[in-house]
Amino acid sequence: MKFRKKGKVLLVIAIIGYLFLWGPIIVLGVFSFSSDSYGTRWLSFTAKWYGELFQTSAIMDAVIRSLIIASVTVLAATAIGTLAGYGLYKYKFSGRRVLRTSILLPITVPYIVMAGALLVYFTRVVRIPLGYPAIIVAHISFSAPLAVFITLGRMQRIDWSLEEASIDLGANRLTTWIKVTIPLLLPAIFSSAVLIFPWSFNDFTITYFVAGVGTSTLPLYLFSMLQYSLKPVLINGISLIFILLPTIAILVISSLQRESKKTR
Amino acid sequence: MKNCDTVFCVELKNLVKKFTDTVAVDHVNLEVHQGKVFSLLGPSGCGKTTTLRIIAGLETADEGEVLIDGKVVNSIPPYRRNCNLVFQNLALFPHMTVEENIAYGLERRRTPKNEIVKKVGKMLELMHLAGMEKRYPSQISGGQQQRIALARSLVLEPKILLLDEPLASLDRKIRKDLQVELRRIQKEVGITFFYVTHDQKVALAISDTIAVMRAGRLDQVAPPEEIYDTPKTKFIADFMGATNIFSGRAKRMGDGDVVLESESGPKIVALNKKEIPAKKITGISVHPERITVSPGDTKSRAENSYKGKIAEMIYQGDFVETKILLLDSEDNKQIVVHMNPKLSQKTRFSIGRTVLIQWNKENSNILQD
Repeated sequence: MKFRKKGKVLLVIAIIGYLFLWGPIIVLGVFSFSSDSYGTRWLSFTAKWYGELFQTSAIMDAVIRSLIIASVTVLAATAIGTLAGYGLYKYKFSGRRVLRTSILLPITVPYIVMAGALLVYFTRVVRIPLGYPAIIVAHISFSAPLAVFITLGRMQRIDWSLEEASIDLGANRLTTWIKVTIPLLLPAIFSSAVLIFPWSFNDFTITYFVAGVGTSTLPLYLFSMLQYSLKPVLINGISLIFILLPTIAILVISSLQRESKKTR
Repeated sequence: MKNCDTVFCVELKNLVKKFTDTVAVDHVNLEVHQGKVFSLLGPSGCGKTTTLRIIAGLETADEGEVLIDGKVVNSIPPYRRNCNLVFQNLALFPHMTVEENIAYGLERRRTPKNEIVKKVGKMLELMHLAGMEKRYPSQISGGQQQRIALARSLVLEPKILLLDEPLASLDRKIRKDLQVELRRIQKEVGITFFYVTHDQKVALAISDTIAVMRAGRLDQVAPPEEIYDTPKTKFIADFMGATNIFSGRAKRMGDGDVVLESESGPKIVALNKKEIPAKKITGISVHPERITVSPGDTKSRAENSYKGKIAEMIYQGDFVETKILLLDSEDNKQIVVHMNPKLSQKTRFSIGRTVLIQWNKENSNILQD
C-alpha cells in the first residue's frame, strides 16, 4: 500500500514536471488555431493561419535560408570538428592540452560578446561579406567545437589496435581511415550532425549581428514579425511546425535504432 | 622459394629499442627457422611485445636490423611486410561480418573476387567455422573470434605469423583446446609462427624453440625440453616452475661432477654434462616432481639426500604440493616437492613428520647467472 502511495506522488510530480516543459508548447499549439490575429487570446477555431503561412513568401524564404545555412554548417562543422578531434586525440605535441581546452572558448564566451567580436572581425579584419558567407562562417565557428568534443568522447572508447590491424593487413593510412576509422567514428559524426543542425537553425544572437541586409533567417524574421507584424499569430503556426518536425525525427531515429539492435 | 636452411625466416641482429626512461629491447639477436613455432616467453614488461611489434613494423627499432626472409625490412612500412599479426585483443573489425573480416587483407591486395570467395571458404573450413560467414564478431564466442583473427591473417599466407598472446583472455578449457588446434593449423599450413606469451605452459606445449626474455635481453634460446630440464639461469628456473633453487659456490669433483656448497647449508651434487667451469656456476635448481620423499628412517640411495620435516601439504588434484623444512639448514630452507596423492595417503605423511628427501645428481640442474 505504501509503495502504491509513493507511486502516485511520483506520478503527480512527473505530470507537473512535464506540464512545465510542455505547457508553453501546448498553449502555442492551441493558440495557433485561434482566430485572434495576435495569437494571445482564444476566440474561435480556425486553420486559416496555416494557409496564410504557406502563402507568405517572406516566411518561406526565411525558412529556406535557414535550412540552407544549417545544412552547410552541419556538413562543414562536422567534417572540421571530427578531423580536429581526431588530430587532438591521436597526435602528441606540446600544448595539446591547452589547445584541447581552448576549443571550448566559442561555446563559453557569452553569445553577445562573440557576436560583436565576429562583426568587427568580419567587417574590419578579414572582410567576409555580411549575409550568407558571414553567417555560415560564424555558425561553423561555434558548432565545430561541439563536434570536436563529441569526437573526443567517442575516441576514448575506440580500440585503436583496429587501425593497426588494418595497416598490418595491407591497408595504407588513407584506406584505413575510410574502411575502419570513419565507420568507428560514425556514431560520433552522426550525433554531432544531429546536435549542430538545430543549433545553427535556431541561433539568433550571432546571426542577428552578422546577417547584414536581406538575409534574415527564420529566427530573425520571426523576431521582426513580433515587433512589426499585424498578424503575429503566424509565429505560433510556424513554431509548432518546427517543434513537431524534430520531435517526429527523433522518434523515427530512436525506433530505427531499436530495430537495428534487435536484428544485430 | 628460397632454401631456408641458409636463410632464416626471421632474423634479428642487435636489436635495440629505448623508451623515454627504459630500454625495452636490449641488443637482441635471434633466428627463427622456416616452418617452425618460435616462442618468446617472459613476464609482462620484459620487452617481448615490443620485439614483436618491431618485426611487424608497428614500432621502429633504435638500433639493429630486422630481416625477413634474408632481407632487411627496417624501412619497409607494415602494410608492405610479408608478415601478419594476430593481436592480443584480436582487433576484429566490429562493423564487418566474419567473411568481410577475413577478406579484408585480400581486398587490399586486389585479389579477384572469385578467388577471395574461394580462399575465405577454405579458411573457414580449416578453422571449422563454415556457416559463420554472415555473423558479426559480437555474435560469436571468444574461441570462434580467436579462430577468425587467426584466419584473417593466415589467409594472406604470410612468410611469418606473429601472435601476441592470443589465448590469454580465454578460460582454461578453451585455451587448451585452441592450443592443440593452433598446432594442428600450423602443421597444416606450414607457416612459421612467432608466438609471444607469458604462459610457460602454452610455450612448452606449442613451441619448437623457446626464447626466454628478461628485461629486454634473451636469457636462453632452446627447445622446450631443454628449457624445462636445464634452465640456464635462476630466473628461468623459477619461471619454469623449478622452485627449489640453491645459491652458492661450486667445486669440481674428480669424475666430472660438481658439488655446490649452498648458502643454506647442504652440499648438493650435480652432474656437469656440459662441463661448465666451476667458477661460472652460481646455483642449482631442482624440479619439485623430481624429488622423492620417503619415511625418515629409510636408507638413502641417491647422491643428494637430506632429512626434513613436513611443514605444509596442499592438495592440488593430480599431486600434493608438499613443503619440507630442511633439518640441517641454516636459513630454514624449504623444499617444495610434488608428491603422488596415492603415495602420500599410503605412507600417511602428515605435517610435522620427519622424512627423507632425495634426488639423483642428474636431476640437479646447474645455474649460471
